[in-house]
Amino acid sequence: MIIRLLSAALAAGFLAAVVVTGLELTLTSPLIVAAERYETHETHQATRGLPIVLAHAGHDHAAPDTAPEWQPGEGLPRMAFTALATLVGAVGYALLLGAAILACGREPTRQVGLAFAIAGFASVALAPGLGLPPELPGSEAAPLATRQAWWVMTAAATGMALYLITVRRSLIAILGGLVLIIAPHVAGAPQAPEAASELPAALAAQFAARSLAISFVFWVLIGLGFGWAWQVFARGPARGTAHA
Amino acid sequence: MTTSTLAPVAAGTRAAERPVAVALAAFLGLGLLFMAGFSPAIALHNAAHDFRHTQNFPCH
Repeated sequence: MIIRLLSAALAAGFLAAVVVTGLELTLTSPLIVAAERYETHETHQATRGLPIVLAHAGHDHAAPDTAPEWQPGEGLPRMAFTALATLVGAVGYALLLGAAILACGREPTRQVGLAFAIAGFASVALAPGLGLPPELPGSEAAPLATRQAWWVMTAAATGMALYLITVRRSLIAILGGLVLIIAPHVAGAPQAPEAASELPAALAAQFAARSLAISFVFWVLIGLGFGWAWQVFARGPARGTAHA
Repeated sequence: MTTSTLAPVAAGTRAAERPVAVALAAFLGLGLLFMAGFSPAIALHNAAHDFRHTQNFPCH
């Protein structure tokens, strides 16, 4: 079962990553590159001033003229690293999806995969996105660590809530689930400082919509792919060769 | 409880294997996601930058 789970997650992650990398490169990466023109003028200092960055920057023992932090070259290398990160993230999500399906005692099929994928999308894209909308480089934002903490907390609470509501289904579980869904938003996401950004609002709005749409496709493909791959890997080599 | 010679062995392995598979997949999945979406290492941040923005991971 371990091998089957890992294999199905790899297959589903790869399938989703191939499609979603294409979507990212055509729909969101151009917007990010366009937004970075505003970032270099406006918030470059602020970005470098984050404590989490400073802790790793090591400016104390480095000469002022040392090379800037490594980043992939513009164009193809940057696209390649975006593809690689998408693959790593897709396999990660697929593993979590598989773990959730098996932990709930369900048999992974395409239908079950799709249902869990929609729950995954709601947990990690929709719910955190309500408080922290997908943002472009150069947008004003609260400190990174607090946003990451709120993001993780909201995703975990929403995922747990969906489990309580859809799997447990008792009255107390449903009420508890509703509280878990609402609580992070009542507590409130870390707020960005009130400051005018030069980033055009149309660009930011377009990015937010595209980002959510891509996340949805990402999850649907991971869910369908996992269910499909799980069933395919069950048939074993004998039946596979007979087919081929 | 054993009524057949083959099935209980397979069923027993499956029952014991499921929690291990779930734990392993959850651990690996969270590790990969941390690397792609949350790691503060600047090289990893820069490599995964466009992916992080698109998938709405807090970035910068």
